[in-house]
Amino acid sequence: MTQAIEKALEIAGIGIIGVFIFMAIFYLLILALDTFLPYKEEVSAEGNSVEVETEDETQN
Amino acid sequence: MNTLLSLGDNLQTFWGFTGFANAEPGHIIMILVGLLFIFLAIKFEFEPLLLIPIGFGMLIGNIPFDEAANLKVGIYEEGSVLNILYQGVVQGWYPPLIFLGIGAMTDFSALIANPKLILIGAACQFGIFGAYIIALQLGFEPNQAGAIGIIGGADGPTAIFLSSKLAPNLMGAIAVSAYSYMALVPIIQPPFMRLLTTKKERVIHMTPPRVISQTEKILFPIVGLLLTAFLVPSGLPLLGMLFFGNLLKESGVTRRLAETARGPLIDIVTILLGLTVGVSTQATTFLTAQSVKVFIIGALSFIIATIAGILFVKIFNLFLKKENKINPLIGNAGVSAVPDSARISQIIGLEYDPSNYLLMHAMGPNVAGVIGSAVAAGIMLGFLG
Repeated sequence: MTQAIEKALEIAGIGIIGVFIFMAIFYLLILALDTFLPYKEEVSAEGNSVEVETEDETQN
Repeated sequence: MNTLLSLGDNLQTFWGFTGFANAEPGHIIMILVGLLFIFLAIKFEFEPLLLIPIGFGMLIGNIPFDEAANLKVGIYEEGSVLNILYQGVVQGWYPPLIFLGIGAMTDFSALIANPKLILIGAACQFGIFGAYIIALQLGFEPNQAGAIGIIGGADGPTAIFLSSKLAPNLMGAIAVSAYSYMALVPIIQPPFMRLLTTKKERVIHMTPPRVISQTEKILFPIVGLLLTAFLVPSGLPLLGMLFFGNLLKESGVTRRLAETARGPLIDIVTILLGLTVGVSTQATTFLTAQSVKVFIIGALSFIIATIAGILFVKIFNLFLKKENKINPLIGNAGVSAVPDSARISQIIGLEYDPSNYLLMHAMGPNVAGVIGSAVAAGIMLGFLG
């Protein structure tokens, strides 16, 4: 194996591992977001939930 | 008599300036390629927003004229209008602006709802690094090989950005190759998707994504930016603008800025980018053996990326519970090419089960592919720049 190929494989290896590390950390950070900031039904200014508002509009 | 001779001389001079006198076979070939691009864009709607500016640019760039006449119409003539506009490509100004617009129009909900899909976007980057090794084997310099490899990222602006930094002389071939194969995604990917999946795998129904809070949507680009800044700072020009655009969209208080970024701004930059890249494909610089090799490697990089994405999902499924399994038909979507590759997942999925809608699931790896290819470009730039 020539030195050039070794270098190429090294860069490719580090590159793909680097992409996976970046994405894996991103994955963990998104999981953390979900854990610490779980979805709650969003509340309108009048204190009614958005869903309730939609239903009211439909009924009207 | 003298008047007639003078008229003859003038006509001869005029003839010398015309395209007929300066045309060479290369010009004709490139004009035909430009016409083909325009035809494909109009007739089959293959990436029309890009192929029409690029195709028309090819016509402009290959109008045969006498370069010695100093007409200042060529893109490589310093001071010409096209040369000034081309600086946005050469200096790498346009791609980050396009990423700003992409960020402002992209909904990352599918990815946030099912974050494990982000790993598919990473797996597909095998296409970039595989093509890099192939390019080296075919005799390209390391920096050129890096720029060629990025074609596998299936992201035009990223390809142009990296080639402007690493191999400006190959930028035309790389850009045209990247956009051509992106347009051909509906033809390239399906055979490999069918070949590498079983009937049982193709009908896997994925769990519907959870609901995302607005706070998560707002925090996503901020977290992404900080992660990029600390891990891959060389990817900041692209990813920084992508996340900035997304924050404009999701913050809810910068609607006008978001609309400008995803509307007029991205349209203007796309016109300038497409046109100047098209013009840069002058026959003398474009019709070379190197360009042919770039096209071959580009096709291979798309194929490697597609295969890597599908196989990754199949392997990943071995470790997932039955209710969390991923349909491998969305593995192809990690190659970016937003949203065409995600649409392919949907179309092929519906062929085997008309009630299996994969589009929203495929959008997760699809947008992850955009991030993944920009990260890969940043890593390449860090090593080879």
